[in-house]
Order: sequence, then structure tokens, then C-alpha cells
Amino acid sequence: MSQPRSSYAVGTGLFIVLGFAALAYLATQTTSIANVHQGASYTVEAHFANIGQLKDRAPVKIAGVRVGQVESIGLASGQDAADVKLSIDKRYDKIPLDSVASIYTSGLLGDQYIGIEYGHSKKVVADGGTLALTKPAQQLEAMLGKFFGAGGVADNLGGTYTVSARFSNVGTLSVGAPVKMAGVPIGSVQAVQVDPVKLDAKVTMAIDKRYNQIPDDSAAAVFTSGLIGTQYVAIQPGGSPDVLKNGSQLILTQSAMQLEDLIGKFLVNGSSSGSSKSSNTPSGKH
Amino acid sequence: MNPRKRTGGNVVIQSLEQIGNGGLFLLTLLAAIPRSLRYFRETIRQLWFVGAMSLTIIMVCGLFVGMVLMLQLYHVLSIFGSTSASGMVVALAVYRELGPVVTALLFAGRAGTAITAEIGLMRATDQIDAMELMAVDPIAYVATPRFLAGLIAMPLLTCVFCAMAIFGAHLVGVTWLGIDNGTFWSNMTAVVNLRTDIVNGVLLKSLAFGLVVSLIAVYQGFATPPTSEGVAYATTRTVVASSIAILALDFVLTAFLM
Repeated sequence: MSQPRSSYAVGTGLFIVLGFAALAYLATQTTSIANVHQGASYTVEAHFANIGQLKDRAPVKIAGVRVGQVESIGLASGQDAADVKLSIDKRYDKIPLDSVASIYTSGLLGDQYIGIEYGHSKKVVADGGTLALTKPAQQLEAMLGKFFGAGGVADNLGGTYTVSARFSNVGTLSVGAPVKMAGVPIGSVQAVQVDPVKLDAKVTMAIDKRYNQIPDDSAAAVFTSGLIGTQYVAIQPGGSPDVLKNGSQLILTQSAMQLEDLIGKFLVNGSSSGSSKSSNTPSGKH
Repeated sequence: MNPRKRTGGNVVIQSLEQIGNGGLFLLTLLAAIPRSLRYFRETIRQLWFVGAMSLTIIMVCGLFVGMVLMLQLYHVLSIFGSTSASGMVVALAVYRELGPVVTALLFAGRAGTAITAEIGLMRATDQIDAMELMAVDPIAYVATPRFLAGLIAMPLLTCVFCAMAIFGAHLVGVTWLGIDNGTFWSNMTAVVNLRTDIVNGVLLKSLAFGLVVSLIAVYQGFATPPTSEGVAYATTRTVVASSIAILALDFVLTAFLM
């Protein structure tokens, strides 16, 4: 600190200038000024059956070009639908009334945004108007959502009862995996053991006591949530008047599918039988 | 000014006493701001000392934090084939947490200790008492300028730290590892938000940290037992108390701001 007195002031001034320059750099170069800056805009409403992971300030795009953002998301009063308010730039005020608003995902794992495809109506949507035609978040998103959330296991508040099932192949099914019926978790896998005599896998499942009306000829299958998600046991109800009891065994089972079979099935559009055959000749079915 | 009674024993009571004394001291400092305007040059000199002189360490550390973050993220994200997202993750991590916290920790080590030791030595050598005899208010002349300087310097230093971290991430990611330059910036700008990340993350947090660190440093200086051992003790306390306060406050602020 041997500098003459005045150089303190100069050095400090330089320091302050540098600090503010850094701030300006951060604010302008690394943030989306466009996300914050909104010129004159008008508001349009759209109702969606399901908005997936859409968030406030998500972009609104026409032909891929950003024209506005999501202003607010709420539940439409008295309806099982989401009410999404879109704030759209005044420059783009020629949106036909019968345009379709859809929820898309940028990339496979990206954020969701709203895309608007123009309709053919001569009337344009006005400030405060509503886009009546919408498409909810797509099915693939639901599958990817399952991949992240991996289904939830039902609570065991009401107590559980145990049933078992034998599979020739359980894939990567593990203890704790959910047991689902009609897609709803009703229990969890308690144990996966291999039978040393029959050489198959014995899966013990704890099912919530609330679901005690499951027919005893129901089928158990090992499914995968989404494309790359975890595996779970799905129970498909049968038609028998007798119900499953503690210690029952499910006779009808379907083992875990190989991904190759699954893709084969997709390609031939859902032939339920002979998955191995169809994966060998996927085009023969058409 | 007799903040520490070494009653020993109950740690909780002692901590509460420290916090209470610190709070009262903060009010004293704030009340002294109008009086310390007479010593404006002193504030500038302190700002030069705690701010401008800390620039080197802040810039070097920011650069390396950005570089190492980028290196780590690149290797993890390459498993998922999404290395282009690493720039954006670096930006978010630095703006929201690492920038303010690391800058505050460095600031406590670099400037906080110096403030405590200087004031402590002033006390040990009776300079504070001498000022009072000469009718110079030691709070307005010694304490408040240092406190204000720390308060002003922290946000500026944090901005510099963040800018250097981004620069370091760009250096490693784009220049070295070959991430596309356009993807790097566009991913970053698509996600970083001016209000939640820059204003709440960088500015608000660093301002809060600056307040806490400068307060602790000045307070510990004035609370120093006037011995050479006391100065060492107070300096250590500044670092320990600042670090704990920064990390705890960071959690609270993040919980409130997110």
C-alpha cells in the first residue's frame, strides 16, 4: 500500500467499473433478454386436457419462431382441464381463430413449449380470446415422465396380502418394483427368487388389502414403464368369480419382453401373439 | 464496547450472546453511516483494499472453478450424449450457488481476516482509545467505512467471479473439448433467467453475504481481547463464523428464493 493517495480512487474506480462490466456481461450475454423483455403484447387463452410439464414463461412458438410466452397456468373453473394464458407479441396479431395450440417438447428431454399451427379461418383471435382447438401434451412425454417418476408404489396403510407368480424370465424386475392394475399401483414386489427345481423365477407380491376383489384367474405380466424405464408387474384381471387370497398363486403369467421383441411389436402395430415371430419378419404382417 | 464476557460454559448462551451483540453492532454501524460520510475518502481507500486488491484471487479462482466444473460435467454428460448442455449447467451452478458462496468464502479469508486483524491490532495498541480521546468517532472512522466497503465490494467481486467462471467454462468446453460455440451460448441463454438467476442468485445473495461477512469481520475486530493472542483468536473466529454463516445463510436464501 505504498501507492500515492490518488491512485486509491483510480484503482477503486477501475474496480467498480470492472464489477459493473462483469454484471452487464452476465446479464446481456448469458441470459435470455428475450425471455424478460416483452413489448406490447396481447393475451390469448387455451384449454388443454393435460399440460404435462409446461411451466410459466415457457415459449410460445409459431413455425418454430418464438412469438410470446406462457403467462399463467391454472385449472379451468369447474372443468378437468388446464387453463393456459398466452401472452403473444402484438406484432403477431394475425392468428386465425381456428388455429391449433399444441404442447411440444424441445428435443427428447427438453423443456415444453406451446406451438401454434395456423388454421384457415378469416377471423383472427383477439385480445382475451380463446384458442378452442388444442392438443394436450403427447403420449411420448407421458412415457418419459414415467421414466423419471418410475410409477410410485401404493401405500400399505390398509395392510397387504401376498400372492405369488412364476415367470420364466423377470428381466430386471427388482424388489420394491410397483405392482399395477389398469396402470394404477396397487402393491409392490416383495421378493424375487429363482426356484432351484423348476428353474423359473418366483415373484412374491404384496397387494394392498383395498384391492381384494381381483379374480383368481388374472394374469401377471412384467412390463416396462416407458421405453427405458424400470420394470413393474402388471395384473390383468380375469373373469373368475373367485378372488385372490393371501398366499394364492397367479397361474397365467407373461414374462419380461426383450426390447427387440417390443420394437418388433411397435413396427407391426400391435399384434398380440407371437412376438418373436413378428420381430423376425416385421413387414410380413402388413 | 464490551461484547465478549468470557463466562465459558454454555455454548448456546454464548452463541446467542454473540448474535445479539452482532445485531446491536449492526445497528450501531448503520446509525453511524451519516457521520462516516465525512470520512468518504476512507471508505474509498477501504474499497480499494478489500475490493480491488481481492480481484486477483477472485479472478483466478473463478477461472478455475469454471474450468473444473466444465471438465467434470463434460465427462458425466458425455455418457448421455448431451455435452452441449454442460455450459448451461455451469452457468446455473455458478450463478445460483458457487459464485456467491465461493466468492464470499474467499472474501472472508482474504479481506475479512485483514479487517479483523487490523482493527484488533488497533485495539491492542490503544489506537481506538486514542481516537476517542481525540474526539474522533472510531465507529464512524474505522468500522463503518470497512463495513460499507465490504458491502459494496461483494456483489461486484461476485459478478467478476461469475464472468471469469463462464470464461473458464468456455475456454475448456469450446476451445479445448470442442463443444460447438453456438450451442454453448444458445443453451445457456435459453435457460438462464435474468431475474431468478442473476438478480436473485448473484446480486441478492452476494449482497447478503457481503453484509454478514463484513459485519462479522468488523465486529470480531472490535471484540478482540487486546492481546497478541487475542488478535490471532479473533482472526480465526472471523473465518470460522463467516464460513458457517455463509453456508447456513445460503441454504436459507435458496429455500426462500427458489
